[in-house]
Amino acid sequence: MEKLSLTIGWLYPELMSTYGDRGNIQVLSKKCVWSNIKVKILPIDHNTSINELKNIDLLFGGGSQDIQQEIVMRDLRGKGLVIKELIERNIPALFVCGSPQIMGKYYEPAEGKKIEGLGVFDMTTLNPGLTKPRCIGNIIAEVELDGTDGTDSPKTIIIGFENHGGRTYLGKTAKPFAKVTHGFGNNGEDGTEGIIYKNAIGCYFHGPLLPKNPEIANYLLKKALSVKYNREIGLRYNSDDILSIKAKQIISSRYID
Amino acid sequence: MYLKNSLIIFICKVFLATVKIFSLGSGSTWPGHIALKMNTMIIKELWEKSHLKVILIAGTNGKTTTSTLLKFLLEKNRYKVFQNEEGANLLNGVASCLVRYADINGKLPYDYGIFEIDENTLPQMLEQIQPTAIILLNLFRDQLDRYGEVNTVGRNWKEALRKLPENVNLFVNGDDPQIYYLGLDIKSNVYSFGLHSTLLEKKEVPHDVDSTYCPNCGEKLSYKTMSYSHLGDFSCSKCSFKRENIFSYLPAELKSSLTGVYNLYNISAVFLLLEKLLNIHVDSLSKQLLDFEPAFGRQEIIQYQGRNAFLLLSKNPTGFNQSIEAINSFSNGKINVLLILNDRIPDGRDISWIWDVEFENLLNNAVNVVVTGDRTFDMALRLKYSLEKDAETRTDGNSICFDRVTAIQNLESALALVVKNTPKDETLYILATYSGMLDVRKLLIGKKIR
Repeated sequence: MEKLSLTIGWLYPELMSTYGDRGNIQVLSKKCVWSNIKVKILPIDHNTSINELKNIDLLFGGGSQDIQQEIVMRDLRGKGLVIKELIERNIPALFVCGSPQIMGKYYEPAEGKKIEGLGVFDMTTLNPGLTKPRCIGNIIAEVELDGTDGTDSPKTIIIGFENHGGRTYLGKTAKPFAKVTHGFGNNGEDGTEGIIYKNAIGCYFHGPLLPKNPEIANYLLKKALSVKYNREIGLRYNSDDILSIKAKQIISSRYID
Repeated sequence: MYLKNSLIIFICKVFLATVKIFSLGSGSTWPGHIALKMNTMIIKELWEKSHLKVILIAGTNGKTTTSTLLKFLLEKNRYKVFQNEEGANLLNGVASCLVRYADINGKLPYDYGIFEIDENTLPQMLEQIQPTAIILLNLFRDQLDRYGEVNTVGRNWKEALRKLPENVNLFVNGDDPQIYYLGLDIKSNVYSFGLHSTLLEKKEVPHDVDSTYCPNCGEKLSYKTMSYSHLGDFSCSKCSFKRENIFSYLPAELKSSLTGVYNLYNISAVFLLLEKLLNIHVDSLSKQLLDFEPAFGRQEIIQYQGRNAFLLLSKNPTGFNQSIEAINSFSNGKINVLLILNDRIPDGRDISWIWDVEFENLLNNAVNVVVTGDRTFDMALRLKYSLEKDAETRTDGNSICFDRVTAIQNLESALALVVKNTPKDETLYILATYSGMLDVRKLLIGKKIR
């Protein structure tokens, strides 16, 4: 039997890696290795060719500081079309922290000009500046994903940390990724968190989303395998459940009776 | 005015004495909080009246060790010195310290006051006091939820430092691009300390870096050699920004009981300051350094049930990586470790940073790792994904085990287990975030945790 393999593209690991973002890559790649799937991590930066980019099976982007984000945007404009094509082809993607803003329609900073995004997601972000406090803290939300494993119920509770000044508003037909039960989410007003379009997820959860929420990692990997091999493939590895459930319990017990 | 301050000092001293008599805590910030409420300018007024020479120490890692070492060496050279208590490094901590050491007339009969200052507080502090000298150690990722981005901290510092006059002496870490940059184009006297080329051993840029882009033009910096994180011999290929005019010491001159490359920076900073400010020769400093014992919780060794408990405060990725490097350097490949991860306010509420630490390097050398703290299972997950091979996870009473790792939420039980794992007379290593270090230290010296 042929050995399965996946190529995971990681957007600008040097520039977009603010606070433990690489935890997501570690989880995805170890889950592959432990499931006997060959995995290649492809760092995407100014050296990456369009052809290389076209051949990825899963895409990940983390957060960046302001100065780095400018450098990223300059290079990413040339790659925007290919990334849009990937997402349209159902290639799964995860954008955490600041990277969904880049993928949205535009971002309006507190000072200075509006910044055009790649337009993958139907959403806009506005930074109200220092008049409104940043959204900082543990965040708990509920997601409904098809094809997640490891739970009996299709609803999954995800837990992480958010730290953002921007407020994001979804387009009329856009689908939120999750429903906030504790924390701020997209804008602290409408109870939505993140966005999901085809198999691409954008969320304000920052840094290591996947270690504590392996359901999302399983979802991304299964989608990547089914798009590439055109059939359903289960993941063998599933033993991180006890630790992640315990880790989530500790946070949820602080906020929910 | 002075009468008013005298009254404030009197009230605060009574308060301090009460706290002490009834063992209500260390009183390291409350008196200052009260003093500042009664007179917002009390720091400035006490400093001006007493003509006290002040040395400020700021940076992400190494503040307490550097302050304690500076105080130790100044005292060895017969100066009268006081310093603020560790962690009490906001304005209220500084005010507490001033009212504690001031006499009732508001005079401070000391040669030097040494203050370690929180990153966000440094600009405010410089509005109150014009120091004789400032040591700027480094800037790493730390508590993003509290401090914001590293670049923001650097920008705020630059603004504050620009306002300083010529007679302030600034000692900057010349191996840290962002810190070195702070010393350019300002009026003050600037001296840069760095490591000698024989101590810059690494050729590759590690993962836990923050400042590998030129603070002047934004181009990627190139490094000839590095010590750790983003510290090293850097230069920019686009503009003229590069590390130059560095004062460094020979490895033999920096010998001490402090291990780890990071401490070589702390020592170099103190040596350079004492050489330049007080003309004390490095040879005599080197001799005096041999008697120095580390500050509380920083490479401190406590005897506990026949084992040597070695405490390493590890509160951010760079600090943690340095602790791991240090214990690997004197290990026999059979390390017993206790990791404590808390997420209380002094630790930072966000623990995402553990994914930037190279725990793979710890597991290569460890026989048993016990994990505990508020966020036990987040840390356990981090270790799980550091393993080469998938390991079965088992629940065993109150603990969860896999490979050589045991996760136990209760600190007392976790400590008991790591003691049991460690043979008598051997060392057990404790790597903990701030509040975890305070708690475990209480257990080790036989006190109850509140």
